[in-house]
Amino acid sequence: MDMKIITGILTVAVLFSGLAAVRASGNGGIFPYAFEERVLDNGLKIVAIPMDSPGQVAYYSIVRTGSRDEYEPGHTGFAHFFEHMMFRGTETYPGPVYDQLVTKMGADANAYTSNDVTCYHLKFAAQDLEKVMELESDRFQNLSYSEQVFKTEAGAVYGEYLKGLSSPFSVLYEKLMDTAFDKHTYKHTTIGFGEDVKAMPTMYEYSKTFFDRYYRPENVILLIVGDIKPGKVFSLAGKYYGGWEKGYVPPQIPEEPEQKAERRAHVTFDGKTLPIMAVGYKGLAFDPESIPMAACMLAGDLIFGSTSDIYKKLVLDQQRVQFISADFGPSRDPGLMVVFAMIKDEGDISGVEKEIYRAIEKVQKNRVDEDRLNALKSNMKYSFLMGLDTPGNVAGRLARIIAMSGDIRALDRLYASLDQVTADDIQDAAKRFLVKDKRTVIILKGR
Amino acid sequence: MKGIATMVVMIAVLILGSLVMVSCDSENGIQTITLPVDSDPTVAFRIWFKVGSQNDPQGKEGLAALTAALMTDGSTENRRYSEILEALYPMAAGYGASVDKEMTVITGRVHKDHLDTYLDLLTDAILHPAFLEEDFNRIKTNTLNFLEKTMRYSNDEMFGKETFYRMIFQGTPYGHPEAGLIESVRSITLDHVKQFYQTYFTRDNVITGVGGGYEKPLIQDLKNRLSALPPKVVPPVPPPDIRPLEGQHVTLVQKNTCSTAISFGFPIDVKRGDRDFYALWLANSWLGEHRNSSSHLYQVIRETRGLNYGDYSYIEVFPNGWARQFPPVNVARRRQIFEVWIRPVPNEAAHFSLRAAVREIQKLIDNGMSPEDFELTREFLKKYILHYAPTTSTRLGYKMDDHFYGIKDHLKTMEKTLDKLTLEEVNEAIRRHLQTENMAIVMITDNARKLSRALVNNTPSPLEYSTPKPPEVLEEDKEIAVYPLNIRAGNVTIIPADEMFLK
Repeated sequence: MDMKIITGILTVAVLFSGLAAVRASGNGGIFPYAFEERVLDNGLKIVAIPMDSPGQVAYYSIVRTGSRDEYEPGHTGFAHFFEHMMFRGTETYPGPVYDQLVTKMGADANAYTSNDVTCYHLKFAAQDLEKVMELESDRFQNLSYSEQVFKTEAGAVYGEYLKGLSSPFSVLYEKLMDTAFDKHTYKHTTIGFGEDVKAMPTMYEYSKTFFDRYYRPENVILLIVGDIKPGKVFSLAGKYYGGWEKGYVPPQIPEEPEQKAERRAHVTFDGKTLPIMAVGYKGLAFDPESIPMAACMLAGDLIFGSTSDIYKKLVLDQQRVQFISADFGPSRDPGLMVVFAMIKDEGDISGVEKEIYRAIEKVQKNRVDEDRLNALKSNMKYSFLMGLDTPGNVAGRLARIIAMSGDIRALDRLYASLDQVTADDIQDAAKRFLVKDKRTVIILKGR
Repeated sequence: MKGIATMVVMIAVLILGSLVMVSCDSENGIQTITLPVDSDPTVAFRIWFKVGSQNDPQGKEGLAALTAALMTDGSTENRRYSEILEALYPMAAGYGASVDKEMTVITGRVHKDHLDTYLDLLTDAILHPAFLEEDFNRIKTNTLNFLEKTMRYSNDEMFGKETFYRMIFQGTPYGHPEAGLIESVRSITLDHVKQFYQTYFTRDNVITGVGGGYEKPLIQDLKNRLSALPPKVVPPVPPPDIRPLEGQHVTLVQKNTCSTAISFGFPIDVKRGDRDFYALWLANSWLGEHRNSSSHLYQVIRETRGLNYGDYSYIEVFPNGWARQFPPVNVARRRQIFEVWIRPVPNEAAHFSLRAAVREIQKLIDNGMSPEDFELTREFLKKYILHYAPTTSTRLGYKMDDHFYGIKDHLKTMEKTLDKLTLEEVNEAIRRHLQTENMAIVMITDNARKLSRALVNNTPSPLEYSTPKPPEVLEEDKEIAVYPLNIRAGNVTIIPADEMFLK
């Protein structure tokens, strides 16, 4: 809880970044904007979305590589590390020159990394589009950094890792993924295992291999939204990205064996905190046409959201937890659907855990109320539409789904699936996925 | 290719002074600031009560925040809280309260489709909070957990900043976190909350803000509804009378941690609308633009030396910097501070990092900005401010802050002033307002006693890099490692984390 900013109920819908399940009327899909798409000969896909946003452009370079792609032991954390290295420049535009040019443009430039994606984004004035494209295409094709610079940046990344240790949620999540997965690379979190992050300065040569494999046109999608003309965007893309050589080498990600029994672990946070519990269930890989996957996505909010029975009981009436929430959003490979709860009394941890299972059993035995399902669909529709207010927000909301699927059309397909989900589908999903043998339970306590 | 958009989207013009109408009137006794944006399919509300944590009675610190939270996170006389959640849910709408030192703003946003229903809920929360014991217990417990555990043990950066603000403002109405102090919050009863509500949530103490695609009658409707608040003029709180800092004062908060979070700075007599504000804003952008690699401190500490994740400076309060990219709205204050935020560095690099940052500020004072840096920063800011207020709600927030500061249009003034500023003017403002002799310094660290001795004795603090560095960096490091701070033994306080924010 962050007391300073907002107390209240500003954002009721947090499920999968506000994507909506109900179609906007008239055009056959939820997404209200026209878009155009081109694929260059080298495989680079460019999606252009003109939008009434005078003078503004959001430019997202979506690299379909995240910590998921770090399959070699001892080399976790490199996707995120590259997020840092990409700001170190090229021979044509060395880091300080790149920084100066971006500064002159007054661009809001940043990047983020998750399990499935590394995303570089800039927001800037429309007149700077060509310069941005020149700079971005240059660093994606010609990134160049010395070993010394590499090692210095590794220090900054280790600092980021240490910063994360001061949050009990980071500690909990790291333990959850490590316990739930045996083989698949979701076993480690995006920042990487601590010992790997610490050892990064010794891996200069490997870093070049990583870049060479994954920073290739077939693995990148440009998403450009705002005050743009698609024809001009494609012509510039051809000019600046056309020479980028193919060469993507897919990662050899081990398949996770089926989980056949519950897993449990405890972890201690080196500080004071109320106990926090995470209950994670193995889910399905992202497939926009999968009704079971769509049903799982909806089930999280129906069972644990702010209008659920368990929320009313544990948060409002009995006040046994500070919060309970669910993140059942999909991932590119089968990931985890997780319920989090912060428990007020350490003696009540097992009691709260039982309440979580009871809430699931209730949905397994009885179909969810149709009105609640419809309210959720309405919630998602309005959450989605209200979130499309700036080019940056439009691009930000699309980036994840494009990263998982490689195709903006997956958005409409997913929402068509979500729209079709029935109470029976929710019940089936709960019976199939929210079961003891597929779950991992982590309990974090403070010192 | 998809069909044409069916949903009209909200306009996203950034600086829209010429296209939007801002009105402020006091008809019905209630002042209103409006920002109509016809193409926006949503309506944004900012209901500002002129009350904040500065109004917390002594011994009841946290009362303003608890009261506001009970209004927006609790039941009303007409609806249980669970019913409110259910009613808001299909609209994907909500409202909440932001409490700062001087302002309490109830914010919300809804799609036009649901405006009537939403307005009922929003005004019900403001006019008829039920103040139920069960809601009070829930929110008070959450607040105590935040103060006792989250702030002290889950976010050293927030902990450091709050400790720093407390050092600067102790003994004044600004001197405690908005969430309160632990013993004070424990002592607050529901009666205190009810009394606070009656005192401050009055018709004469509210300014309403509405923006977006609403129809004109909405404004009168809202004013009519809020006119049910009791009339009562609230006496203003005098601005905080800050005890001047003499020398460099250090608070070392002892806790088990592998990295040290650092915040330091001093009060400044500059605020929006002042001539020097805009000059200092430009200088500060060069020195430490928030979460931007253009920040000079970032370049020195992170980029060149890899010591941490970022290093920034501020001339206005910037709460929750780790969670936001651009300045917040509705945290307007009559007293501001110059603040440096050094994100956690390894404990062994803490002394060095502090020296490096203080040295850079002193260099800026001594040498001023170079013509090249001045021009680059001016060019940067001309476009960068376009990102400050991308949405209707944020622009509405700026308009309300303009009202607080008694200025016309801050965003536009910033834009216009950039063209007029000269390097001389900026360098004069730096010399007038920045200094390094009198500062408050906070470090959340592991071995406070050892660090204290090193600080007081000006013990050299050379860094040992695990990786090679260019010769020019190593040369500069030699200067930084012995850069003299002026910290007297009597000016260092060591306090265990557990003892912070108790009372």
